[in-house]
Amino acid sequence: MLFAMLALFVGISASAQTLPDVKIENLEGKITSTKELADGTPMIISFWSTTCKPCIMELNAINDSLYDWLEEVDMKVVAISVDDARTVSRARAMTSGQGWDDFVCLFDKNQDFKRAMNVSLTPHTFIVAGDGTIVYSHTGYTPGSEQELFEKIKELK
Amino acid sequence: MKKFLLILCAVGLTAVVAEAQVAVGKGQLSGSLESNNIYYGADKKLDELGLAQRPELPFGSHDFLKLDYNLGRFSAGIQFDGYLPALDGYDIATYQQRDTKLTGFFTKYIQWEDTNYGVRVGDIFDQFGNGLVFRTYEDRALGFNNSLAGARVHYNFDNYFSVKALAGMPRLYDVRSRSLFYGADLSLSISDMAGWYGGLIAIEGSYVGRYQNGASEILDINANPLATEYLNMVSGRVNFEVAGFSLRGEYAQKLNNDIYNVNFGADKGNVIHVDLGYNYKRFSASATFRRYEGMQTSIEAMESSLGGGNVINYLPQLTRQYTYMLANLNPYRGCASMTGNEIGGQFDAYYSLRNKKDRSKYWNFHANFSMFNTIAHESFGEFIDGRNAWVDVNFDVERQWSRKLKTTLLYSYQRWDEELNHWDSPHAKYCDSHIFVGDVTYKFTKKHSLRVEAQYLYDSSNSYEGDWVAALVEYNFAPMFSVYVSDMWNCEATDGNYNYASEENELLHYYQVGASFTHSRYRVQLSYGRNRAGYVCSGGVCRYQPAYTGINLSLTASF
Repeated sequence: MLFAMLALFVGISASAQTLPDVKIENLEGKITSTKELADGTPMIISFWSTTCKPCIMELNAINDSLYDWLEEVDMKVVAISVDDARTVSRARAMTSGQGWDDFVCLFDKNQDFKRAMNVSLTPHTFIVAGDGTIVYSHTGYTPGSEQELFEKIKELK
Repeated sequence: MKKFLLILCAVGLTAVVAEAQVAVGKGQLSGSLESNNIYYGADKKLDELGLAQRPELPFGSHDFLKLDYNLGRFSAGIQFDGYLPALDGYDIATYQQRDTKLTGFFTKYIQWEDTNYGVRVGDIFDQFGNGLVFRTYEDRALGFNNSLAGARVHYNFDNYFSVKALAGMPRLYDVRSRSLFYGADLSLSISDMAGWYGGLIAIEGSYVGRYQNGASEILDINANPLATEYLNMVSGRVNFEVAGFSLRGEYAQKLNNDIYNVNFGADKGNVIHVDLGYNYKRFSASATFRRYEGMQTSIEAMESSLGGGNVINYLPQLTRQYTYMLANLNPYRGCASMTGNEIGGQFDAYYSLRNKKDRSKYWNFHANFSMFNTIAHESFGEFIDGRNAWVDVNFDVERQWSRKLKTTLLYSYQRWDEELNHWDSPHAKYCDSHIFVGDVTYKFTKKHSLRVEAQYLYDSSNSYEGDWVAALVEYNFAPMFSVYVSDMWNCEATDGNYNYASEENELLHYYQVGASFTHSRYRVQLSYGRNRAGYVCSGGVCRYQPAYTGINLSLTASF
């Protein structure tokens, strides 16, 4: 059964999606559309939660290198918290408490965006071109793997 | 074991697939696959101590394949769930009503999402406010999925107001419930109406009802006049945000009895939930207060509980969920199952200090406090005073010294009433733990790094299991490989049932060794080790995991 599932999976494996249109809360608590993220600037979209340690490590690592990267390419970082009602206030607090003020922080309380992007475990990070085309994605984090994200962003130029 | 090899082959096959681009018509297809497998091995030591019962079939597997099709504003999707069979310690294994091997396309939907309205037919995942009266969601770590099969419509008029209505039958493990839920949610943005854009003021409210034919017989109308076939719940909310300050409050009521065990006497229910937040530059704080009585709900009113899957609202534990083994040894599981009520709250403060010249040097400070008590109540005709159930005071400091070295220190003091989990014992028995964690990451090169964790739990009350030690070493080859080995043991050699074990059983090691491989959207994780019996929590909801020694294989892929 599982084998059949995998075979099916292999058969239709595809990439090059575009960003789905999902409503999501911003830092001010207002509802925005994920389509609006595609404003011409390439971006890293990273799904994280307050209980996911590697996610926080990854975002901190990106934050460390961000100014160096910005010297070479125009880009932005979008941090999507998948925390639900229980921890969303902690997630809001963490975004400024971790010094992520250069990121676009969005809150996917009902996990609609997470489902639409087919994220099953966090961290899951996407490289998205300025027109909203998803060009690359990566799950999990190992210290140093943020460098790969930067390489992929550079390829978009 | 055969299946294990089969999966391994399949994984290999999947991993080598080139990233083709497939458009189906003008739309696009996307999907994900997740497979979690455990092979339960034999373990003499666990057997001797009576700590683990090896399942009859030494293999379990949870598999999920999700496919979505998207064409403009239209989308449709389907998800296959396979429990082949269900893993030990998941409620779906205990309460499923079909075979031991369970497969099916449990989730499916079609949806039209326009700029100001949307319609969805099929399985719905949604929540009203904090979920105090309604939340349907999926959590694979808990084996939880109570998706509502039905229809939902929503409409919004600019940012001024939005309204949502839905109806359907929730999923109860492997079957559709025999109850029908219906509800509506309304949100008014006062600030937008008044043309004030400096902040946000919103007023919201919701209603949720349930009809279950024959529920009144189960709930025994004679014993409790509030028990009816109709359950009604209402909730009101205010959201206020200005200049870094936020206040979100919700009050909800359950207007009828929905408790399978009328001995609780909790006929109606109410809950208040308040979140306060403040941030200024790199300082931020948030506080939560919550009090509830008799707010437990069920998808189907039954004579017996039907486990953690039989719930339509969301009242999670609000305590900090740790990523360190010893800090998670005895997580707070709430007072509700024993007393039906709880009062308490939690507080978080964060501060980040970053070197302006060198961004790779920073300090991150975090402090957290949580405390929960029971409320005085009557149980089986006896009056029981409210008392403290849980306290956690903790702080952690993260220091990035340079691009190479990072350290984290964590201290947590946890105190809990062990008696709370035994049927409403009138006297408390407090256990105190002091947990110390050191965590160091060192990057040798851009791709090679080492992470080491050392942990100690000091049982100052000496009334629980005594002291514990744990350690972990992890080596990473970015971005593809990671290997780790860890161990955790009880210095006092108690046997896990809180009894002191005999001498030959001293130092029962809970060891783990594992590796993960990640390539783009594919990830495979393999580990082997002995797992302690305890509570696994996800999103503030916990499930009991029996002890076992075995092999875990999990794989995820998406496209």
